[in-house]
Amino acid sequence: MTDATVSLPRPVPQGGSLFTLDGRVKRRNAAEARFRAYGMTAIVLALMALVWLLYSIFAAGLPAFQQTFVTMPVMLDPAVLDKNGNRDPADLAKVTTVGYSKVLAASFVAAAEAAGVDTGDLKPKDIAGLLSEESAATLRTQVLADPALIGQTIEFTALAGGRIDGYYKGRVTMASAKVDSNVKPEQLVLADALKAKGMLVQSFNAGFLTMPDASDKRPEAAGLGVAIVGSFYMMIVVLVLSLPIGVAASIYLEEFAPKNRLTDIIEVNIANLAAVPSIVFGILGLAVFINFGGLPQSAPIVGGLVLTLITLPRIIIPTRAALNAVPPSIRDAALGVGASKLQSVFHQVLPLAMPGILTGTIIGLAQALGETAPLLLIGMVAFVRDFPGALPGGLFDPAAALPVQIYNWTQRGDPGFVERASGAIIVLLGFLLIMNAVAIFLRRKFERRW
Amino acid sequence: MDDMRLADSAVKAAETKIAARKVQVFYGDSHAIKDVDIDIADRTVTAFIGPSGCGKSTFLRCLNRMNDTIPACRVEGDILLDGEDIYDKRVDPVQLRARVGMVFQKPNPFPKSIYENVAYGPKIHGLARNKAELDEIVESSLRRAALWNEAKDRLSAPGTGLSGGQQQRLCIARAIATSPEVLLMDEPCSALDPIATAQVEELIDELRAQFSVVIVTHSMQQAARVSQRTAFFHLGNLVEYGETGQIFTNPRDPRTESYITGRIG
Amino acid sequence: MTNGILVLIVMALAAAAHVLARRRSLAVVAGDIKKLHSLPAHHGQTGFLFTAVPALLLMALWLVVQPFVIDARVGGMIADSDVPAGSTHELVMADVRRISDGLDTVVALGGSGEEEALASMRADSSAVRARLAKAGVALGDNVGDAAFTAAAAHRALVHSGRNAMTAAVLALAVAGLGFGLSRVRPDFRARIASERFVTGLLIASSLIAILTTLGIVASLLFETLHFFRLYPASDFFFSTVWNPQFRGGSDLGIWPLLWGTIYVSLIALVVAVPVGLMSAIYLSEYASARMRAWVKPAIEILAGIPTIVYGLFALITVGPILRDYFAQPFGLGSSSSSVMTAGIVMGIMVIPFVSSLSDDIINAVPQSLRDGSLALGATPSETVRQVVFPAALPGIVGAILLAASRAIGETMIVVMGAGAAAKLSLNPFEAMTTVTVKIVSQLTGDTEFASPETLVAFALGLTLFVMTLALNILALYIVRKYREQYE
Repeated sequence: MTDATVSLPRPVPQGGSLFTLDGRVKRRNAAEARFRAYGMTAIVLALMALVWLLYSIFAAGLPAFQQTFVTMPVMLDPAVLDKNGNRDPADLAKVTTVGYSKVLAASFVAAAEAAGVDTGDLKPKDIAGLLSEESAATLRTQVLADPALIGQTIEFTALAGGRIDGYYKGRVTMASAKVDSNVKPEQLVLADALKAKGMLVQSFNAGFLTMPDASDKRPEAAGLGVAIVGSFYMMIVVLVLSLPIGVAASIYLEEFAPKNRLTDIIEVNIANLAAVPSIVFGILGLAVFINFGGLPQSAPIVGGLVLTLITLPRIIIPTRAALNAVPPSIRDAALGVGASKLQSVFHQVLPLAMPGILTGTIIGLAQALGETAPLLLIGMVAFVRDFPGALPGGLFDPAAALPVQIYNWTQRGDPGFVERASGAIIVLLGFLLIMNAVAIFLRRKFERRW
Repeated sequence: MDDMRLADSAVKAAETKIAARKVQVFYGDSHAIKDVDIDIADRTVTAFIGPSGCGKSTFLRCLNRMNDTIPACRVEGDILLDGEDIYDKRVDPVQLRARVGMVFQKPNPFPKSIYENVAYGPKIHGLARNKAELDEIVESSLRRAALWNEAKDRLSAPGTGLSGGQQQRLCIARAIATSPEVLLMDEPCSALDPIATAQVEELIDELRAQFSVVIVTHSMQQAARVSQRTAFFHLGNLVEYGETGQIFTNPRDPRTESYITGRIG
Repeated sequence: MTNGILVLIVMALAAAAHVLARRRSLAVVAGDIKKLHSLPAHHGQTGFLFTAVPALLLMALWLVVQPFVIDARVGGMIADSDVPAGSTHELVMADVRRISDGLDTVVALGGSGEEEALASMRADSSAVRARLAKAGVALGDNVGDAAFTAAAAHRALVHSGRNAMTAAVLALAVAGLGFGLSRVRPDFRARIASERFVTGLLIASSLIAILTTLGIVASLLFETLHFFRLYPASDFFFSTVWNPQFRGGSDLGIWPLLWGTIYVSLIALVVAVPVGLMSAIYLSEYASARMRAWVKPAIEILAGIPTIVYGLFALITVGPILRDYFAQPFGLGSSSSSVMTAGIVMGIMVIPFVSSLSDDIINAVPQSLRDGSLALGATPSETVRQVVFPAALPGIVGAILLAASRAIGETMIVVMGAGAAAKLSLNPFEAMTTVTVKIVSQLTGDTEFASPETLVAFALGLTLFVMTLALNILALYIVRKYREQYE
C-alpha cells in the first residue's frame, strides 16, 4: 500500500445513464422494500395483537350484560312463610330460603301450567331447577323488607339458572346437556316453551354492576357491586394520599432541593421505585401494614396504602415534568415583585403546572385501578358478600376489588364465570377509558406551550 | 484587503455538468426558490453566496435530491446532470447520490472507525471487489482529503474522536470515496477554526482537478479564495451568476453590490 | 373520647388560634398592616401550626408507643405456667388483647350497669365467656383465668392511657395556642416561620420515597433472615427441587422457579423485541406524520391495559389455541398453561415498552448522521441498519433490559398462563412456574405464617427485587450514558 499515490487510477463505475438502474441498485431496492415490509409487518402484528386481545375479551364478556329472567306471579303462602300467622319479624326471619324455594317452585309450576306449557314428564323439582337458587334468597329479602306481602300474589322476576342462561348464550347445548349432571335436555326444551310464551326473557343485567359476588355454583347471580365499591374506596385513599404527597415531593425536588448527595439518592430512588415489580409492594404491604401495623386484611385502606406507594413515583415523575415545563421567567417575575420563593411556587408556578399534574395523577390512578398482584397478597382474594360501610369507617371493612374479583372468577369451576370475568374486564376497561379520556381532555384543553 | 485576493480566475471554458432551468422549490406554502436558471461547469469550484435564508442551501440540496427527505418540500423545473433530468421518475435518488456527493455544515462522521467511515460508501455501492481494493480506495480517499498522514496509524480508531477539522476532512474523504462527479459542500467550514478552514480550503482547490465542486458559503472571502464562479442568491432568486473575479470587482446588480459591500446580509 | 373527636377538637383549637392570632396581629399595630413584618394571614398560619402540630405529633407518638408499654406491663402478669401446652406466650397475649376489646364491646352494648357487673364477674370466667360470645368474641377453651385477669388489667390500662393521652394532647394544644398568641408582635417573622414549616413538609414528602425503599428492603431482609434460620440458605440457592409440603420437610430450591422465570421472559423478549424494534424503526424512519399520530398511541394502548386482562387472554384464548393447534398435534404436551402461552402474551404486553423506548432512542440519533449516509447514496434501510441502528444500539440494549426487568417482575400473566408446576424442562409447551407465581401461592395459602413454606416467599421476593433492581440500574446507566453522547 505504501507505493499507492494520489494518482491512483480511480475505479470508475459511473458513466451509465441515470435512467437505467444497474443490477446492484435493483437488488438494493429490493432489500429496501423487504425492510419496509418487515417494519409494516411488525406494526400490523402489534395492532393485530391489540385487536385480537380486545376482540377475545369482548366476545367472551359482552353476554354478561344480558341475563335470562323468568317472570311469574308468586303466591306468598302464609302457611309456609308465617306459620304462626302473627307477622312477627323475628319469626319470619327463622324461615330460611328453603321455605321460599318451595313457595317459588309451587308458583312456578302453577304458572307454567296456567300458561299452557307442556312440562312433559319433568318432575316439579326439575321444573323449579330452571330457576337460580339465588332467586329464593332475593324473594326472602323482599318479603322480610315488607311482611305485609305475605298472603298476596306478587309479580316476581326470578333469575334463571346458570345453565339455562348459558343455553341462550350458546355455552350450553342439547348435546352438552346430555352429559351435564346440572341440567337435563328436557329442561332446555321447557325453557324454549316458556320463552315462546313470554315467561322467560333476556334483558339487560343491571345486577351485574350492583349485586355482590355469589358462590361457586351461582355464576348467574354474581355481580361486581362490592368490587366496584372496594375499588372506588381504594382510589379515594390513593388520590387523597398520593396527590398531595406526590406534589409536595415534586415541588421540593424540582424547586427547592439543593444539588447534594441526599437529593441524588432520592431521585435515583424514585426512578427505581417506579420499576420495582408491583408484587414486591404487595409483600411490603403484608409485612408492614398487616403484620406490623395490625391493619385488617382485605380492607380497602390497606389496598389503598399499597397502591399509594406504587402510584407515588408514577405521579412524581409527570408532576416534576409539568413543573419543569413552567418557564423560569414566571418564577423570576414573582420573585422580582418581592414574593418569597414559596409564594412564587404556590401562587404562580403550581397553578400553571396543575393541568399537567392532574393528567399525570389521573393516569397514575388508572394504572393503580388495574393493579392486581399486590392486592392478592393483602387478602383481597377473600370471598366478600357484604358491602363495606360508609366512608371513612368502611375503609376498614372487608371488600373486594375489581381486578381481584376478575382473578377470583377465573379460578372457579363453573364456565359461567369466564363470561363474568370477561364482562368484569369490560367494566374495568370502561373505567380506564373514562379516566384516560378525562386526562386527554385536560391535556388538550389546558395544554400550554411557551 | 489581502484576503480579498481573488483566486486564479483563468477559468477554462469547461463543459456544463449541471444545468438548472426554471427551478422552483416550495416548503408547504412558502416559495423558497424562484425561477433559478444556472449552468454549473465541470472541474470548477462554484460558490453560492447570499444572506441567511436566501435559499442557497435549499438549492444545493436540490442538486442531489436531499430535499426528498423533507416531506413538505416540492421541486419544480428541470435539473439536468450530463443532460439527464435528475427529477425524472425513472431516476433512483440512490444512484444519483452516488454521482453527486455531499459534505455538510457540521462534520458528521458515523460512530464507527475512520476506516469504516470511508469504506461505507464503496461498500454499499459495491465499488471494491475485495479487501485489497477497498483498502486502496480508503487510502487514496484519505490521501486526497489530506488526512492520510494524520490517520494512517489509527484507522480503527473511532471517527468521532478526531478534531473538528479532521472530522470534516474525514467527511470529505468519505464523500469522495464513492468517486462522485459532483461534490456539494454546504458551508463546510462554518464549524471549523481558521487553521482547519485553511486546510479544507486548500483541499477544495485540489479537488477541482477531478470534480465539479459546488460550495455554499457565508463568507465572501472564502468564496473569493476558493471559487472560480460565484452565484449570488437573494430572497430565493438567483440575482447574479458569473466569474468570481467579476462578481466581486464589478457586480452588475445593485443587490450584489450591496451584499458585497456589507449593506445587506 | 375517640381519636377522631380528639383530632377534631385539636383542629378546632387550631382554627381558633388562626383567627385569634390574626386579630391580635392587627390589634398590636392598631390596624396599620405596614408596621407588621408579615401579613396577618401569616400570623394566623403560625398560630394554627403552633397549636395543631405539637399536639397531633404527641398524639401519633402516644398511639404508637402505648400498645408496647401496656403489653410489656400486662405481659408480666402471664406466668409461664399460665401458658397452655402447645401455645406460646405470644398467642396468649393475642387472646388477652382480644378479650380486652371484647369487654369493651360488652360494656358498650350493655350500658353503664355492665361496668359493675363485669367487676363482680371477674372471678367467674365462664360468665364472662358467655357475655363475650354475645358480643361476638369467641374464645377457645384453653383460655385460662390468668388471661381474663390480665385482660381486665389490659383494659383498665388502655382506658387510663387514653384518658391521659386526651388530657396531655389537649393541654399541649392549649399551651401551643397560648405560645402562638404570645409571639404575635410586629417584628415577628411569621411568614418565615410558617414557610419553614411548609418546606419541612415538602422535604418529608420527598423522603417517603426513601422510606418506601427502606421498608421494602427491611421487610424483605428481615423475613428472609427469619427464613434462613428455619431453612438452610445453601439449599435455597443451590437445590434444583421445589416441593413444598404442608407438614414440613419441604424442598425449597429456587432453581426451577428461576428457570421458569427466565424461560418465560426469554420467549416474551423473542416476541417483543423484533416486533417492537421494527415498529419503532418504521414509525420513526418511514411513517408519515399522520400514520405516526394514529399508530403510536394505538400501540401504546397495549401498555395501558391492566395485566389481569392479559392474564385472562392467556387463560381463555391463547392457551387453548396453543394446546389444540400446536402442543397436542405435535405431542408436545396437553396443558393450556405453558411457558409458551405466558411468554407470547407477556411478549405482547412488552411490545409497547420496547417500541416507545426504542422510538425515543432512535429519534435521539442526530439527523445529520442520516443525512450523511443518504448523501452517500445509501438507501434508507442501509442507513438504518448500518448507521442509525449501531449508533442507537446502547440505548436499545438499555430499553431491552428495562423490558426484561418488566417481564421478570410480571405476575398476573404467569399466574394465569404459565401454570404451577416447578420443573426444569426445555419443552416450552409444558406448564412451568415462576418466582412471582410462587410468591403469590405461598403467601395466599393456608400455611402458618412462621413456617418456612410461607417465609420462603420473602426470600423469593428479595431475589426478585435484587434481580429487577440490578437490571434497572444497569439499563438506566446505559441509557443515560447514551443520551449524554448526543447531547
